[in-house]
Amino acid sequence: MSKFPRLLWIGVLLTALILTACAAPTAAPTSAPPTKAPAPTTAPVAATSAPAAATKAPEATKPPAAATKPPVAAKKLLIGFTASQTGAQQVASKKQVEGLQLWLDDVAKAGGIKLKDGTVYMPEMKFYDDESKTDRVQALYAKLINEDKADFLLSPYSSGLARAAAVVGEQNGKVMITAGAADDVTMEQGFKNTFQLYTPASRYLTGAADMLMKIDPTAKKIAIVYEKDAFSTSVANALKPYAESKGLNVVMFEGYDTGATDFSPFINKISATNPDAILGGGHFADGTTFAKQLYEKKIPVRFVSLLVAPPEPTFKDIGDAAQYIIGPSQWEPQVTYSAESAKAANIPYYGVSVKAFTDAYVAKYKDTPSYHSAGGYAQGLILQKAIEDADSVDPAKIVAALDKMNLMTFYGVVKFSTDAKTHGKQTAHDMVYMQWQKDSAGKLITNIVWPLEAKSADGQLRK
Amino acid sequence: MKVLTSPSLWIVLLVVLAVALIPMIANLPALREELFVLLMLIILASSVNIIMGYTGYVSFGHIVFFGIGGYTGFFLVQTLQMHVALAALIGGGVASLIAFLMGMPVLRLRGAYFALATIGINEAFRTLVTNIDQLGGAVGMLLQFSVYDAYGGAKEASQLAYYGIILVALLTITASFMIKKSKFGLALMAIREDQDTAMVLGIDPARAKVMTYAISAFFPALAGALFFFKNGNIEPGPAFELHRSIEALVMVMLGGFGTVTGPIIGAFVYERLRGFLITDPTFSNAHLVISGALLLIIVLFVTAGVIGWLRQQSPVLRRYLE
Repeated sequence: MSKFPRLLWIGVLLTALILTACAAPTAAPTSAPPTKAPAPTTAPVAATSAPAAATKAPEATKPPAAATKPPVAAKKLLIGFTASQTGAQQVASKKQVEGLQLWLDDVAKAGGIKLKDGTVYMPEMKFYDDESKTDRVQALYAKLINEDKADFLLSPYSSGLARAAAVVGEQNGKVMITAGAADDVTMEQGFKNTFQLYTPASRYLTGAADMLMKIDPTAKKIAIVYEKDAFSTSVANALKPYAESKGLNVVMFEGYDTGATDFSPFINKISATNPDAILGGGHFADGTTFAKQLYEKKIPVRFVSLLVAPPEPTFKDIGDAAQYIIGPSQWEPQVTYSAESAKAANIPYYGVSVKAFTDAYVAKYKDTPSYHSAGGYAQGLILQKAIEDADSVDPAKIVAALDKMNLMTFYGVVKFSTDAKTHGKQTAHDMVYMQWQKDSAGKLITNIVWPLEAKSADGQLRK
Repeated sequence: MKVLTSPSLWIVLLVVLAVALIPMIANLPALREELFVLLMLIILASSVNIIMGYTGYVSFGHIVFFGIGGYTGFFLVQTLQMHVALAALIGGGVASLIAFLMGMPVLRLRGAYFALATIGINEAFRTLVTNIDQLGGAVGMLLQFSVYDAYGGAKEASQLAYYGIILVALLTITASFMIKKSKFGLALMAIREDQDTAMVLGIDPARAKVMTYAISAFFPALAGALFFFKNGNIEPGPAFELHRSIEALVMVMLGGFGTVTGPIIGAFVYERLRGFLITDPTFSNAHLVISGALLLIIVLFVTAGVIGWLRQQSPVLRRYLE
C-alpha cells in the first residue's frame, strides 16, 4: 500500500474517533425514553386535569373552592430507573417498561396524583440503558439521583441489576420499588427504602410441590434440575428442603450451566432415577429446550414445572412439547383479583381491574401482557397509592405509608416486611401456576391451575 | 529510581489525578461514578498492556484476575469484616500468586495457544467459583449493608472506594512506566520482538514472563476488590465477564500497544465511544460489532495506536509521550 492511502485511512479513522468522542455527551446514556409519548408536560396536564377529575367520583366530592380556582399546574414527579434495552434482559425489561408506561398514561388521563391540599403531581419517567450489566447500573443510578434529581426510583429488571441499583438508592436515601427482582438475599440486607413487589424466589416452586401432591397424591419422587444462576439456584435451594419437609423424596438435584442447549446427560439421569415429577429450569431459552428434549425423549414423568419460560406466550412455539408444562407466574391475565375478593379477604382494593389493565395493554401494544408487564404497572400503582396515603412526596412519609400498606390490586396482594433485617421484602403476594393445555379444538392455551381458589381449569398430568 | 523523576510520568499522573479529583472538589457524585468506571478501565487496559504490550502475549482472559481479586476482597470484607484496603491488597496478592503459578506452564505456550489458554483459565475460574458454596455459588454474595457502617456509611464507603481506585490507577500507570523504562522492560520487549534471540542475549524468558504476568494480575485484582465492594454484590457472571477482557484489548490497541499513555487514551476514547454507541438508536444493538470493526481497522492501518502514531510524527512528542 502506498503511503498516501495509508495516511488517508489514518486521518479518516482519527477524525471519526474524535468526532464520535466529542459527540458523546459527558454522561453518555440516553435521557429521552424511546417509547412513544411519555409523560405529558405540565401545561397540557393542567388543561386536562379538570375534565379528568370530573369523571372520577372521589374527586367530584372535593371542596368547590378547587373548582372556582384556575386549574392547578401539576408538579413534575420524576421517576428514574434503568432498563435493559440491550443485552440478556432486554425482552423482559421491555415488557416491564411497557407496563409502567401504561400506568403513566392512566395517571395522565386521571389528571395526575392529587394530594389533599390540592397539589397535583404528574409523574414522568426517565431511564437509561444499563445494557443488562451491573457495572453501568450504579453510575446510571447515581446520575438519576444527583443530576436528573429523580424523586423516586424503580428497579432495573433482574435480581443482579436490582441489587446493584438498590445499593445506590439506599446510599442516597431514595425510595425504590423493585419489580423483576425476586431474589431473597437482596431483600435481607437491612435496606430501609427498598420495597419488593415480586414474590421472592424462595416461593417460586414451593406451590408447585403443593400442587403436585394435590393432583397426584401417589407422587413420591421428584427431580430438581435447574440453571446455575443466582435466581434459579435460589429457587432450587428453597424448593429442596420444602419438598423434603412435605415427604417428597428428591432423587436428583442437579444444576446446569447458563446457556446449556443439550440436556441429554440430565435426561439420562432422570430416566435412571425414574421420578414422578421434574421441577426446576431457569430462563426462557434453556427452559424451552429442556421441555422440548423431555418431550422428544418421551420421558414418562407425569408432572413438569419449569421457571420463567412457560408463562411467556412464545413458549407454545415448541408445539405439543408445551402441553402439560406448568410454570410459576407472578401474574396472569386470568387471575381473579377483584374488589369482591379483596372484600372477602378484608383488605382494600386499589386501582384498575385485571380486565381493564389487560384490555388497555392489548389495545396499546397489540400483545398479551406478561407478568413482567403487570409488574411494571404495579410499580407505579403502588408508588401512587403510597403518595396518596402519605399525602406527601416526602421520602420518610412514603416509606411509612409503604410499611403500612396491605392491599389488593389487579396484580395481587401487596404487603412488605417491616422487620429490620428483611425490611421491604414482599410477604403477601402469591404466585399463580399456569399450565399449557389443549382446548376442545386442540389448540394450546394457558390456564391457571393453582392455587385452587384462583384456578381457571383443573391441573392435568402428563400422559 | 531515576525514572520517577521523569516529567513524562508526572504529566500523565497529574492529568489523571486532576481529572479524577474534579467530582470530589465540585461535589458531582454522578461524574464520580462515571469516572470510577473509567479509572477501572484504565487499570484493566494498562495491566493488559503490561503483559501484551511489553511482552507480546495476548491475554484474552485477563479479567480472571479482576474476578479473583473481587471475590477474595469481598469474601474477606464480608466474613472477616476486614478493612477493604487490606482485603484488596490480599486479593491482589492472591491474584498475583495464581498468575505466577498458572504462568509457569501457560507462558510456555506461544501465540494463539497462550491466548486460548487464558480464555480457558477464566472460564475454569468462573465455573469453580460457581461451584463453591462458601463463595455463594451461582447466587454470589451480597454485602450486608451494615458493613458500610464501619466506613461511616454507604456513601462514605463509596467515596473511599473512589479514592482507592484513583490510587490504584496511579500505581498501575507508575508501574507500567517503571517497567517500560527499566532493564527488565527492555528484556520484555526483546522477548516480544524475538524470544529466541533474547535467550541468546542471556535473558531468561520464562522468569521474565512469569514475573510480568504476576505484576499485571495485581492491579486488576485491586480494581475488582474495590469495584465489588462499592457494588455491594458479586456474582460469577459479572466477575469473570470475558468480553470485558476483549474490550481492554481494544483499548490497548486503540491507544497504543506498548505505550504507557496509550491504554489511558484508549480507555477514555473507548468509554466515550461506547457511551455514544449504546445510546444512539441506530448503533445501540451493534456497539460490539463496531468495536470489532474498529479493532480490525487499527490492526490493519494504525498498528501503533493513537499514541504510537503521534510518537511517530515528531521527536518532541516522542520525548514526552511514553
